[in-house]
Amino acid sequence: MARQRRAGFFFVLPALAYFGLVFLVPLVESVIGSFYRTVPGGESRFVGLRLYAKVLSDPTFWQAVANTVSLLVMSVPTTVVLALAVALGLHRLASLRWRSAWTAMYFLPFSVSLVAAALIWQWMYDPIYGFLNHLLGQVGLPTQKWLQSLEQVRPSLALVNVWVRLGFDTIIFLAALQAIPTEYYEAASIDGAGPARALRHVTLPLLNPQIVMVTMLELIFNFKVFDTVYATTQGGPAGASQTVIMLLYDTAFKYFRLGDASVMAVFVFVSLLLVTLLQWRLFRRQVEY
Amino acid sequence: MKAGRLHWVVGAVVAAGAVCVFFPFFWMAMTSFKTVPEIQRVPLQIFPDRWGNLDNYREVFQRQPFARFLLNSALIATVSALSSVVVSSLAGYGFAKFRFPGHAVCFFAIVGILMVPFQSVVVPLYLWVNRLGLVDTYAGILAPDLVSVFGVFLMRQSIEVVPTDYIDAARIDGASELGIFWRVVLPSVRPALATLVIVKFMWTWNELFWPLVVVNSPTMKVVTLGLVSFTNMYFIEYNLVTAAAVLSIAPVLAVFLVCQKWIVRAVVLSGLRG
Repeated sequence: MARQRRAGFFFVLPALAYFGLVFLVPLVESVIGSFYRTVPGGESRFVGLRLYAKVLSDPTFWQAVANTVSLLVMSVPTTVVLALAVALGLHRLASLRWRSAWTAMYFLPFSVSLVAAALIWQWMYDPIYGFLNHLLGQVGLPTQKWLQSLEQVRPSLALVNVWVRLGFDTIIFLAALQAIPTEYYEAASIDGAGPARALRHVTLPLLNPQIVMVTMLELIFNFKVFDTVYATTQGGPAGASQTVIMLLYDTAFKYFRLGDASVMAVFVFVSLLLVTLLQWRLFRRQVEY
Repeated sequence: MKAGRLHWVVGAVVAAGAVCVFFPFFWMAMTSFKTVPEIQRVPLQIFPDRWGNLDNYREVFQRQPFARFLLNSALIATVSALSSVVVSSLAGYGFAKFRFPGHAVCFFAIVGILMVPFQSVVVPLYLWVNRLGLVDTYAGILAPDLVSVFGVFLMRQSIEVVPTDYIDAARIDGASELGIFWRVVLPSVRPALATLVIVKFMWTWNELFWPLVVVNSPTMKVVTLGLVSFTNMYFIEYNLVTAAAVLSIAPVLAVFLVCQKWIVRAVVLSGLRG
C-alpha cells in the first residue's frame, strides 16, 4: 500500500515540477515584478504601487483594453451563434458522408497557424488587389479599406477570429447534439411541438452546458488575441487595433519596460480569473461537471 | 413535402457556408501560382495562367532559409509532442489510479494553471531563459512547450477507464509499478496517446508568441516567424506570402486530414469536459 502511494506521487512528480517551474514560479515573479521598476542597466528598485498607478492612468493602456473588449464583443457572440447554427444544420443532414465532408471544411481553419490565417485574410482584404474588394466591385458597391481603416480594422480582425474558431465550436456543439437521445424529440412531437418549439424547449436547454463553455473558451481566446494582430496591423492604424497582449509585448520586448509589462500581465491574469469565477458563480447549477 | 424542401434549404445553406469558409484557402493556393503581373491584373482572374508555376516557391526558399524554418519547426514540434506524451501519461496514470496524500491539491493546482494565461508569465520566463543562456536555442524555444495541462487531463480521463483489475492482476504477478505502466496501462490507451501527439504537434507548430520572444537569429526561426518575415517589407509580395503560407500549412494540413478523427476526439473531449 505504501509502495503504491509513493509510486503514485512519483508518477505525477515530473508534471508537477514542470508546471511549478514554468507557470507558478514565473506567475509569482510577475506579481513581484509589478512592484519594482527596473532602470536601464539592470538595477531594480521597489516602488510599491507606483507602476500600477502609472499603467492604470495611461490612456494608451485603456485604449488597448477598449479595443480588446470591442474585438471580443464583435467576435464572441458571432462565433457562438454561427457555430450553433452550423451545428444544427449539419446535424439535420441525412447523408453522413456529406455531413463529415462539410464538417471537415468548417474545421479546416482551426488546423492552420493564426499567422497564416491572418496573412491569408490580409490578402483577401487588400484594398487594391484583394478579393473582397473585387467582389464589392462586381456588385457595384464602393471598395473598402478594411485593415487600413480606423473603423473597419477591428471588425475585419474579428472576422478572422470567427473564421478560425467557428469549426472548433461547431464540433463541440455537434457532438453534444448527437448525444441527445432521439426519444426526447419523439416525446416533443407527440406533445405537438413543431421543430421551432423542439429547438427552444429541448435542444437549447440541453446544449446549455456547451454554450456556456464555448462562450468561456471564446472569451479567453479572444481576450488573448495577439498573433493575428501582430502579423497584420501590428496594432495600427493609429493604435486602432492595439490589443492588451500586443501592448504587453511591445512594452516588455520592444521598450524593455519590464515593470510596466508585469503590471499588464497581472491585469490579464486577474481579468481572466474574474471572468472564470463569474462563470462559475452564474452557471454552477446548469453546468454538469 | 414541406419538410423535404426545408431539408434541401438547410443542406444548401450549410454547403454554401462551408464553401465560403474554404474559399480563402483556395484563393491562397491560386495566388501562390501567379506572377506579380497576374496578381495585379484587372479584371481579376481566378486561375493562374500557368498551373505548374513554382517560381514563387523557389523564390521563398531563396529569399529566406525557409527549409531551415520548416526543419526547426518539425524538430521542436516533434520533441514537444513526445515529451508531452511521456510526462502527461505518467501524471495521468498517477492521478487516475492512485490516491496519495495531496492528490486533490496537486490535481487542482494543475487545473488552476489552465487559468494562467501564458502572457502573464512570459516576462519572468524570458528572464530565466536568458539567465540560463538559452535564448536563441532549441531548448529555449521548447522550454514552455514540453508539457501541456490539456495532455494531463486527456491522459487522466483515458486511463481512468482502464479496468483497475488488470493493474491489480499485474501487481499480484509481481510486476513493478513502471512495468505495469509500460505493459498494461499504455497499450490500453493508444488512441489517447495518438490524439495527444497529433494535437500537441499541431499546437507547437503553429505557435508564434514565445518563439517571437526567444528567437533572434534567422537560422533559429520557426516557420511562423519565417512567415511573418515575408511581411516585414514596405510592399508585401503576396505571391511569395501565399507560397510561404502554403508551405507552412501543408505539413499540418496533411496531418490534420489524415488524423482528423483523433483531433475531433480531442476537441470533443476538451469540450465535454467543461
